Amino acid sequence: MRLLTHNLLSSHVRGVGPRGFPLRLQATEVRINPVEFNPDFIVRMIPKVEWAALLEAADNLHLIEVPKEPIQGYEHNEEFLRKMHHVLLEVEVLEGTLQCPESGRVFPISRGIPNMLLSDEETET
Amino acid sequence: MRHPSWPHIVEFLKAFPSGSLVADIACGNGKYLGISKVLYMIGCDHSQNLVDICRERQYQGFVCDALAVPILSGSCDACISIAVIHHFATAEHRVAALQELVRLVRPDGKALIYVWTMEQEYNKKSKYLRENRTSQGMKEGISNDTSVQELLVKQLPIVGNQDSAHSVSSINDFQDRECNSRNVANSKLPIHTNRASFHSQDLLVPWHFKGNPDKDKRVEPFGPLGSRDPGPVFHRYYHVFCEGGLEAACQTLSNISIL
Repeated sequence: MRLLTHNLLSSHVRGVGPRGFPLRLQATEVRINPVEFNPDFIVRMIPKVEWAALLEAADNLHLIEVPKEPIQGYEHNEEFLRKMHHVLLEVEVLEGTLQCPESGRVFPISRGIPNMLLSDEETET
Repeated sequence: MRHPSWPHIVEFLKAFPSGSLVADIACGNGKYLGISKVLYMIGCDHSQNLVDICRERQYQGFVCDALAVPILSGSCDACISIAVIHHFATAEHRVAALQELVRLVRPDGKALIYVWTMEQEYNKKSKYLRENRTSQGMKEGISNDTSVQELLVKQLPIVGNQDSAHSVSSINDFQDRECNSRNVANSKLPIHTNRASFHSQDLLVPWHFKGNPDKDKRVEPFGPLGSRDPGPVFHRYYHVFCEGGLEAACQTLSNISIL
């Protein structure tokens, strides 16, 4: 699971609604997976990122420091774009957990795959 | 389902600009996840085995239920649901699955939905696309050679409060409008004869499994006629949509327009 994927995931435990985002990330195994740098892709992705969630996840993984917000003129700042490319696309959590911040429910990540299945009682209708 | 990618799905995906976020709900073995290098696609499926296959193919996937997708509301530029909705046995579930798709996309985002349709005639090989314009100006494309119904739905910008009670009360109307609707609980589900027309909207289709029984290897549901393959047969539920059935289901949803 990449951090960009984590940025899209939210808890669907019954009743939590928007308070289920972001999922608290803990990792016991992380792999760095080189991905071809596409600056245009990253430039377009930056405005879509939930930045606070990304900061929290990167912090929990003890990653290189992510800027508190997109820097001014980021579209032309290759160093910034490469850093964001690395954080969003090259860091893969292989083993770990995702925790609903509201309900505390823990979802496992195994072999890079989060398992978000809920029991019937937990499912939001 | 083993068949070449339906061309409209590939076209739909390739039309999105670089950096678009697209979710494939019930993605199976990840058939559509690698279509474009410039899209960020994530797939989810109920089956761990199928998501494992997506993972082997280097795609981003997670395991979840299509009725409760753990994706942040309004975060996707688009989502696709290919041959999924017809597996839900009740109108409520089918509408709930559609509601999830609409919830995931941002205002102005799009959802592409494919389901099986009643007008499945294996004899007809014609490849024209027929469009029906309804009085409300909706377009519904039915492709006769692929025997599916496709619907393109756009999420409208949110105006005022969403009245979710409105959606629920419309489900009863929607059920009445379904052609040949049956009370599934009290009647036996017919088992579909592969390669024949559908005689019922609610039925079981035999899927023949080959090879490693531990992996959820989907073989084409239409096994060769007269096959002596003694492998296990799994009957999967399908609700085959009648003409207009999919759009009727979508009409119970608020804040969307059908393209």
